[in-house]
Amino acid sequence: MILDRTQKPVNISELNFTLPKTETFTLSNGLKVYFINKTNLPMIRLNLMINAGSKFDPKNKNGLSYLTSLVLDEGAGGLDALELSDEFDMLGTNFGISTDNDSTNLSLQTLSDKFEKSLELFSKVLLQPSFNKADFEREQSKLINRILQSKDEPEYLADLVFDNVVLGDQNSYSYPVSGYEETVASITLEEIKNQYRKYFVPSNSNLVVVGNIKNDELFRLLTKHLNNWVNAENDFSFKNISTTQQKKIYLLHKEDSVQTEIRVGHHSPLRSQDDYFQRLILNTILGGQFTSRINLNLRERNGYTYGATSRFQYYKDNAFFEVSTSVGIENTSNALKEILFELENIHNGITDSELEFAKSSLTKKFPLNFETYRQIASGITGKILYNLPEDYFDEYISNVNSISKSEVEQAAKLFVDNNALSIVLVGDKNLLKDKISNFNIEVVEVDTKGKSL
Amino acid sequence: MNHLNLNCTKGKLKNGLEYILYQDKSIPLVSVNIWYKVGSAYETKGKTGLAHLFEHMMFQGSENVAKEMHFRYVQEAGGTLNGSTSTDRTNYFEKLPANSLELALWLESDRMGYFLPALTQEKLDNQKDVVKNERLERYDNQPYGLAWELINTNLYPEGHPYSWSTIGFLKDIENYTFDDVQNFFKKYYSPNNACLVVAGDFENDNATNLIEKYFGLIEPFDADYKPEITYPKLDENILVEHKDNVQLDRLYLAWHSDLIFGKDDAALEVAADILSGSKNSRLYKKLVFDLQIAQDVSAFQYSGKFGGQFMIISTARPGINLDQIKKIILDEIKTICINDVTDKELEKSKNGIKSQFVFAMQNIDTVADYLNHYKFHLGEPNSFEFDLNRYNSVDKVSIKSAVNNYLTKPFVELRIISKG
Repeated sequence: MILDRTQKPVNISELNFTLPKTETFTLSNGLKVYFINKTNLPMIRLNLMINAGSKFDPKNKNGLSYLTSLVLDEGAGGLDALELSDEFDMLGTNFGISTDNDSTNLSLQTLSDKFEKSLELFSKVLLQPSFNKADFEREQSKLINRILQSKDEPEYLADLVFDNVVLGDQNSYSYPVSGYEETVASITLEEIKNQYRKYFVPSNSNLVVVGNIKNDELFRLLTKHLNNWVNAENDFSFKNISTTQQKKIYLLHKEDSVQTEIRVGHHSPLRSQDDYFQRLILNTILGGQFTSRINLNLRERNGYTYGATSRFQYYKDNAFFEVSTSVGIENTSNALKEILFELENIHNGITDSELEFAKSSLTKKFPLNFETYRQIASGITGKILYNLPEDYFDEYISNVNSISKSEVEQAAKLFVDNNALSIVLVGDKNLLKDKISNFNIEVVEVDTKGKSL
Repeated sequence: MNHLNLNCTKGKLKNGLEYILYQDKSIPLVSVNIWYKVGSAYETKGKTGLAHLFEHMMFQGSENVAKEMHFRYVQEAGGTLNGSTSTDRTNYFEKLPANSLELALWLESDRMGYFLPALTQEKLDNQKDVVKNERLERYDNQPYGLAWELINTNLYPEGHPYSWSTIGFLKDIENYTFDDVQNFFKKYYSPNNACLVVAGDFENDNATNLIEKYFGLIEPFDADYKPEITYPKLDENILVEHKDNVQLDRLYLAWHSDLIFGKDDAALEVAADILSGSKNSRLYKKLVFDLQIAQDVSAFQYSGKFGGQFMIISTARPGINLDQIKKIILDEIKTICINDVTDKELEKSKNGIKSQFVFAMQNIDTVADYLNHYKFHLGEPNSFEFDLNRYNSVDKVSIKSAVNNYLTKPFVELRIISKG
């Protein structure tokens, strides 16, 4: 039989995929533990999510949460910073701390036979950090220099301005996780210690463990090493007022840029089970994938860019919609015109084939999200952060499939608002000013904090 | 460690295409990964970046797959996909739900066997623009983005296959012609110049049949051009200074070193880890932790088939002169040449490397790419244990000798200096 190459092969077999099962238990100090037993490799991944993100940073102390996380593992439980780092390295264990707007996350990735020793070190960092003055001062000045360095990075600058203008001054989510040079410089060691005492408590945290270990053994080890972690009375609050923005172009000057970094978008309602899947499909069609409308237009048809995407960024208590790309200076105005066109055009409806493509892509990709230990842990962490229903993953595929064409079209009307777009351009203003004058949109020149000059 | 002993099935079609099958049914995914034995080292003067541009063109469709449809079919099936170009090879890969193996083989075979009929000037012009933008975004508009190009044009003599970067010079990108792309395909994209890995959840018989079905009829041709391996030497140190829009000055030191899997390759990697791989590594402790004159420091051995280079990079804190940093780095290298590294330093590095081998096994597409990597360099795909053992065999003597062999020789020194 001669092979007919013109025919795309079809799948005949059904895929047999079962979700990993989550077990939960609570330590006697109140720490909630989510455990997934995964045994294909001799390793364990552990994520501790603490509700201690930059949104809690007090005014003029931006960077406090992040700096706390940087000092936290600089010595603990009688080990100095270098000894502690050596102990982890000797075990071949990856230990890390990261901070975002909502939370501080401690992670551990270790071979199974090194788990208990790694957990013991982990417990030292979490329960007995040294917070020495010399370590604090070193990390503080390193962070100030890192903030200085980020002024070189056009993507970072564009995000910085965008977050600020879209969410506004009165919103804690609009400030950078790493803080500003002067706010970080003003932070004291005492403030770091208070931050730790206030937020780093079991009742404010969730622990996710994925790996090759038995449930009762895990419980025994966690009890042994984390049960002494004590709670404190606390009251957490942050500013979360979002103001509606007028359509404007915000121009940040970066001398000698050979490209323009572009961000276009606006504030968006919170993540909600009522409309999450409508927005997900909408964005998959508009700009979430390589073959979405925006990338096909800007990259594959016009060659203006290496890539262009759109997304809904969901924080725990806030959200925005954003299109981002970077283009050669000469293409700035054409690229912007095409982005605005796509944001208009999505209101004219979507096709059946676009809907089917998005559903097929999202549902069939589902098993790929549960391949690595880290992916599984992140999935569970996300479920906790957004307070998703217990059966979120079980119902994911049927929820995606249940969305109709008119629901997606309705979502376009509700969640893409072309009258409220903030447009951020980072580039050389001397080369850009002519190119953006014909849009009939007010142009404001801003500094890196989004303040008009 | 039996997790690193991967039982593979190997085969070869009549047209010369080699394939490797590795089953792992822990999750219903399948990874398809092809290496073509061509990278930027195979380019010629005036045509730099062509291998990378070609990688872009391979996603522009083939006789039975329209433009944009390669991406669309894989994404519609729930898969992920990409390709990458290095100095030595170009790879293409997709990871899909296990029941879409046939789709991936159809797509990969169509562009291997039936690419040229679908090539148009319009597609080429579009992707030239995309690649120009890629270069602007990832190199020209990035802080320190031109460092690699500045180092390699100085470290290697003109015409050496590593003397240009894989993205290519802007002028060359602008000047590729339709003929260039056609000829490039005809020179390198033959089945006998490629190796296909299928890894994941599938049945061997079925995979073998499908590979024969889709790739078996592709006509091979002569594809045996290889760059020469030369061993360039610097007669003296070369100093390059470049002013850039950066806040902090940065120092780069680059030495010629051993080829990939060469005698000193693993020892140099371990030496790099001892110098800068952890908080208590020698250079990090001195420069960043104790003296606090540097913001960061990193050392690494970067080796390929046609050359190797050892690099040390450090960013100065504001107001610090790069001379001060350079002196400490060179003093530390002298120290390693004279005194043995400690048992603890060695053990720390080796334990880290061992863990990384196990952690890497989590991703079926990483595993597939490693199988091709080992097949390409060593002839045997199942070389994880051999490779780990290469690091385990490194001892005090081999580190001292590797550092003496390479890091006491002349080097290229690049200083990226703040304009402001």
